[in-house]
Amino acid sequence: MEVTLFIHAADDAFRILENAKVQAVGLLDTATRLTSETRWMEEKKVQGILKGAQATRSGFQNFVATFVMLMGFWALLSGKFDTFHLSLGVICSLIVAYLSHDLLFANVRVGDGRVIAQRFLRYIPWLLREIVTANFHVAYLALSPKMPIDPQIIRFRTKLESDISWVTLANSITLTPGTITIDIADREFMVHALDRKVAGDLDTGEMEDRVAHIFMEADHIYIQDVLDVSRIFAELKRGM
Amino acid sequence: MIASSDDIIIKTIARIFVPFIQIYALYVIMHGHYSPGGGFQGGVILGASMALLLITHGYDEVKRRLPEGVVMLLGSLGVLIYAGIGLTCLLLGGNYLDYSQLSVILHVDPAHARSLGILGVELGVGFTVMAIMYSIFFDISTGGFLPGDEKQSGEWGDNE
Repeated sequence: MEVTLFIHAADDAFRILENAKVQAVGLLDTATRLTSETRWMEEKKVQGILKGAQATRSGFQNFVATFVMLMGFWALLSGKFDTFHLSLGVICSLIVAYLSHDLLFANVRVGDGRVIAQRFLRYIPWLLREIVTANFHVAYLALSPKMPIDPQIIRFRTKLESDISWVTLANSITLTPGTITIDIADREFMVHALDRKVAGDLDTGEMEDRVAHIFMEADHIYIQDVLDVSRIFAELKRGM
Repeated sequence: MIASSDDIIIKTIARIFVPFIQIYALYVIMHGHYSPGGGFQGGVILGASMALLLITHGYDEVKRRLPEGVVMLLGSLGVLIYAGIGLTCLLLGGNYLDYSQLSVILHVDPAHARSLGILGVELGVGFTVMAIMYSIFFDISTGGFLPGDEKQSGEWGDNE
């Protein structure tokens, strides 16, 4: 009797394991397919950008994008929507777009602008929460009678690759109370931190990961990417 | 002689903000007859945006965008617009800068002519102030010597 029970149990265990293995293989296959598809698309984009014709068109696209943004800013400032003022706005936007169309979109990496904007908007609430929690910590440091501060300068090399992501990270660090970015030189950040806990928070690199995620610097695997992918996997799993 | 800044933060922020500063300057000029601001203020902001570009991106970048000749041309053009509108009013039988006289040429009622005349004058003031502000800043920052000046090259070369 006990032997049969044991055999049944072992059988069940084997079946569960087998199921798990099949599911895991399926998931891995999907993951590989998704990765290879995105890589193929990225490669195609890079090839397109390397072509000369594409470069001139992207210059024109920059011009148009700059013009649209400036026109929106003009409408926001002016608030007058009669023909006369709008045509003034169009002329002014054209002049400024002609003068500075290569400024606003210099050093743009391969990537979809809408996705970057969306991710940036999702980054802001997280940053605000970080700022509020850091505020409380710094207030605690300042108000406690012993004032247990331990000022230190920490340096770390960043894995970010474009100037805009460096600046986003540097300004996020400066905005967070207790830490100030002093300098960026040769991809090395020099940050002043108020005490050990603040420095430790920075060292975990979560902020860096999130900034890298915004600007799709895809040469590394980031925490946020894993979280995104896990959501996709959960969907797939429900479908199975 | 100003070279390109090596501070990435300042350079990037300046790169993103300069177009918006410029459109804001033009907005201040164009709405001078409705709201605070006008030719001088807008011109100074426009000149400041070019100065910001000069101290962050260096001499070569700015020269490519706005050559010396164009700056001088804009400065003279602004004075020409201002004096031209003033003299036109004089010729049409009014006082100097009496914009209501322009209604004959523009085929609009005198009140509207005043508005347009002020806009034109402010445009001229804006051009001139921008060009001269930029030119003064430029001359001070380079010490008056340009890279093309072979005679003085040793002198400013020492500063590098």
